[in-house]
Amino acid sequence: MSDRKTAWRTWQCMTCGFIYDEAEGLPDEGIEPGTRWEDIPGDWICPLCGTPKGDFEMIEI
Amino acid sequence: MIPQEIAQTIIDPKAYADGARVDDAFARLRKDMPFAQAHPEGFDPFWVVTKHADILAVERQNELFHNGDRATTLTPIEVDRKVREMMGGSPHLVRSLVQMDNPDHFAYRKLTQSWFMPQNLKKLEARIREIAKGFIDRMADMGGNCDFARDVAFLYPLHVIMEVLGVPESDEPRMLKLTQELFGSADPDLNRNRAEIADADAALAQIGATVGEFIEYFNAMTEDRRACPRDDLASVIANGQIGDQPLGHLEAMSYYIIAATAGHDTTSNTTAGGLWALAENPGEFAKLKSDASLIPSYLEESIRWVTPVKHFMRSATADTEMHGQKIAKGDWMMLSYPSGNRDEDVFEDPFAFRVDRSPNKHVAFGYGAHVCLGQHLGRMEMRILWEELLPRLEALELAGAPKRMEANFVCGPKSVPISYRMH
Repeated sequence: MSDRKTAWRTWQCMTCGFIYDEAEGLPDEGIEPGTRWEDIPGDWICPLCGTPKGDFEMIEI
Repeated sequence: MIPQEIAQTIIDPKAYADGARVDDAFARLRKDMPFAQAHPEGFDPFWVVTKHADILAVERQNELFHNGDRATTLTPIEVDRKVREMMGGSPHLVRSLVQMDNPDHFAYRKLTQSWFMPQNLKKLEARIREIAKGFIDRMADMGGNCDFARDVAFLYPLHVIMEVLGVPESDEPRMLKLTQELFGSADPDLNRNRAEIADADAALAQIGATVGEFIEYFNAMTEDRRACPRDDLASVIANGQIGDQPLGHLEAMSYYIIAATAGHDTTSNTTAGGLWALAENPGEFAKLKSDASLIPSYLEESIRWVTPVKHFMRSATADTEMHGQKIAKGDWMMLSYPSGNRDEDVFEDPFAFRVDRSPNKHVAFGYGAHVCLGQHLGRMEMRILWEELLPRLEALELAGAPKRMEANFVCGPKSVPISYRMH
């Protein structure tokens, strides 16, 4: 399914609670708005606590 | 090796009360020896980690740098020896998340992690706002003069966490007293005997008595919550399971103690220090008054400014290297959060208080797996207080010299006399 048809999702760091919102991205970290979770590199870490990407969970907010 | 005068300063509770003395010592270290060993009298040597990036690097590698193998706070050799004698070889009087490593740390943190996530805390927002308004009304009734630390900042976060934990309001003064005895054990105004500490025996006897009183209190609470669980954090701890077993006794007691102490004292320190900074910087106060959208950045700046947790210790689990220095397995390391939060490579003009500082990636809550569990609750309490207080606060100035607690672990202002006008 294309990005236009799939709702933006949010992911939460299970260590510190930081939320990654696909719609907003993280421009300060070089991640453009609209960047899908799958497109974030595997070695990316939580900007607040350094937890690896694998320890984030998708959440509803 | 760090010059002896600096090594003595960075462990000295009175230097933290002074503020400038410890700031100067760390500024010199960041410039000349950002990662070096200190050998203060009466302490085992330890590496002093002063740079923001190095603090992150150590905290991120929580398998290489352990919390639990040695004392997690600066502890004199003699006190360490006595604690190990009392605790069957362990260097810790309590065993909370702070003293744990994996797998225990993960298992024990998971018990309350979801409770402290922002989405769960939302349900507390209305009640916390009501509590905050009560304290602000009381401040308005004081006629324009108060000690903001004692009359508001110590009491508001205390009331919130005790309600969350399930401690009755009538016991709050006792909880505040015990917290100040624990974190202010070196401060003759606050410690259990209200006196200068004579020696290691006296220091340990006081702290041991305070911990003992906490344990007695929370033993009774555990029995009560096991018999009659309620919708409070004490019931989560009392009835929690690790695997298929209840929490260990020391671990359960330590969970209560950390919630009942760190769960308010750090927020109180930051709240008091944040207002102190506004009173000292009228231009920043005016800026904040004219633009409420600055409250979140003011909040982060007050956390950076106060940095209530002054250090945690780690120890290496293997030989390694940092900054070209060889760190041996077992070496002790001091993570200096106030130093990281004044790091000139990260913060522009770090000794200036700016309500609109951005970015502000301070390390006051720590980093990595041990990052402060209660950070979202602390932020929420402070945001609500400022949202309610700032619109009513028309004028503010210091009405005397503020004082900080004498402590090298957790400390902040103990007195912030102000005069003010509010409606």
